[in-house]
Amino acid sequence: MDYVPATAHLSAALTSTQVEVTSSYHGETIVLYGAVFSPRDQPCDVVVVVRGPEQPIRIARKVQVAGLWLNHRPAVFQGAPGFYTVSSARPLKAIAAPGVLQRLGIGIEHLSFQTPEAKPAKPPLKLGPRLVGIHGRDYQDYRQAVVRLKQAERLYDQNEAGVAFVDKGLFRAQIALPSSAPIGLYEAKIYLFQSGHPIQVRRRMLNVQKVGLERAVYVFAHSRPWTYGIIAVLFAVATGYGAAVIFRRS
Amino acid sequence: MDIYLPIAEVSVNAPLLVALGLIVGFISGLFGIGGGFLMAPVLVFMGIPPAVAVASQANHVVASSASSVFAYGRRGAVDFRMGGVLAAGGIVGSVLGVEGFRILRVLGQADLVVALSYLTFLGVIGGLMLVESVSALQRRKRGQPMAEPKDRRPAWLYGLPLKLRFPRSRLYISVLPPLGIGAFVGVLSAVMGVGGGFVLVPAMIYLLRVPARTVVGTSLFQIIITTAVVTILQAGRNQTVDLVLASLLIFGGVVGAQLGARASSRFRAEELRIVLAVIVLLVGLQMGLGVFVAPKDPFVLISGLGQ
Repeated sequence: MDYVPATAHLSAALTSTQVEVTSSYHGETIVLYGAVFSPRDQPCDVVVVVRGPEQPIRIARKVQVAGLWLNHRPAVFQGAPGFYTVSSARPLKAIAAPGVLQRLGIGIEHLSFQTPEAKPAKPPLKLGPRLVGIHGRDYQDYRQAVVRLKQAERLYDQNEAGVAFVDKGLFRAQIALPSSAPIGLYEAKIYLFQSGHPIQVRRRMLNVQKVGLERAVYVFAHSRPWTYGIIAVLFAVATGYGAAVIFRRS
Repeated sequence: MDIYLPIAEVSVNAPLLVALGLIVGFISGLFGIGGGFLMAPVLVFMGIPPAVAVASQANHVVASSASSVFAYGRRGAVDFRMGGVLAAGGIVGSVLGVEGFRILRVLGQADLVVALSYLTFLGVIGGLMLVESVSALQRRKRGQPMAEPKDRRPAWLYGLPLKLRFPRSRLYISVLPPLGIGAFVGVLSAVMGVGGGFVLVPAMIYLLRVPARTVVGTSLFQIIITTAVVTILQAGRNQTVDLVLASLLIFGGVVGAQLGARASSRFRAEELRIVLAVIVLLVGLQMGLGVFVAPKDPFVLISGLGQ
C-alpha cells in the first residue's frame, strides 16, 4: 500500500537563480514553476511573494509657496523592500483573512515601513529628515504615496492573475523585474493556502548581480572613488587631445 | 541598441547618447561654451538620476573643452594666466558648490534650486544676448556702422589691489574680479552640472574687457579645470560619475567639438549669437517653468544618494 500524505504538499523552483546584469541588461522576467500535490483534491491556493533587497525610501510632499511648488522636508522610511510583488490566481482576500495575510506580510498594504521616530532620537539637526510619526495623520498619506509611486515604476505590484495553473496541480508564475529594480539578493516565498490557512511555505533565493564590465566599474567607483575620479578626468583630457590631433592631420 | 549603465543603474539607448554628445560638443566648439546646460535636461529626461547626470556630464565637458582648447591654443587664443586665475576661483567655488549641493539634497530642495538656477541664469543671459544680437543685426542690415565698443573700462577694475599683468589679453587689472567670477562659476558648475561658459564669456567681455580674440579659448581653459575638479569631487564624495555614460558622451563630444570649432569661422557672429540666445532661453524656460505648474502627484520620491 502506498503511503499517501494526509495534507497537501508543495514544491517549487525558479528557472534560474542568477540574474546577470550585463551591459545589455534591460530588465528580466523570472519564471517560477511549481506543483501542488493534494491527495484528497481539496482546493488549494498558491501565493508567490518576491521581495527585493531593502532600500531606505526618501519621499517629500510638494507644497505651494508664493506660486512655487517646493518640496517639504523629505521623510525617510526604513525597512521597505526595493522590489515587491505578490502573485496569486485569485484575489488575496478570497484566499485568506486580512489578519492572516498581515501576520505573514503578504500584500502591499501589509508591508511594514518604519520611520526614524521609532529609533533613538538623533541630535535635532535642522538638516535631518522630516519625522512622520507612525500614528500621525500624515503617516497614511505618506505611506500611500510611497506605494503609488513605486507601483508607477513597476517596482511594487500585486497581480491577482499572476499564478496560472497550467495543468492539474502544476503552476507557473512570471515576475517582471524592470531594469530599475535594485541589485542584490531577492527572496521568493511560495505559500500554499488551504481553507484560508497557510499550510506550507517554500523559500527560493534569487541573486541579481552586476557581472563583467558593469561590476568592474561599479566596484572601482566605490572602492577607490578618488582614483576613479582622477582616471575619469585623465581619460577625458586624453580623448579630447587625441581628437584634436587627429583632426589637425585630416 | 540599449546599454545598461553601471552607476546610473538604468538601461538607455547607446547611439542616442553618442548623438547627444556629438550635438552638444558641436555647440560647445561653435560658441566656446561647455554645453552642459543643454545636456543635463536631456539626460534626466532619458531617466538617468539627476545626480549621476550632473556628475557624469561634468566629465564629458572636460573632454569636449579639452578638444577645443587644443585647437584654440594653436592659434594663440588662450590667455593661460587669465584662465589660471579664473580657475583658482573656480576650484574654491566648486568645492563650496559640491558641499552645498549635498546639503540641498538632504533637505530635498536640490531639484528646486536646480530648476530656479536654470530659469534665472539662462533666462537672463539668453534674454540679454537675444536683445543685443538682434539690435546688432538690425544695425548692420540698415547699413549703420557697428556701435563702437566702449573701450573705457569701469574704474573699479583699476582701483582694486593685487594687480597683475595679462599680456595675452593686454590687460593690467586686479586679480580679485577674475577670482570672484571664477568662484561664482565654480558654484554653478557643481549645482547645475555645467561648465559655466554662458556666464563666463559675457562676464569676461563686459566686466573684464578681455579682447574677443582670447575670450573663447580662455573660457574653455577655465572650464576644463573647474569641471575636472567637479568630476573628481563628485566621484570621490558621492560616487555619482558613470564612466560608461561619460565615455559614450565623450566619444560623440570630442568629434562634435572639433567640427564646431571649424564651423565657427563660417558663420556670422551675430547670427550665431541669436541662435545661441534662443537655445539658452528655451532650455531655461523649459527647465524652470516646471516649478510653477501644479505637480501631478503631490509627493515625490527622492533618490537616496548622498546621505
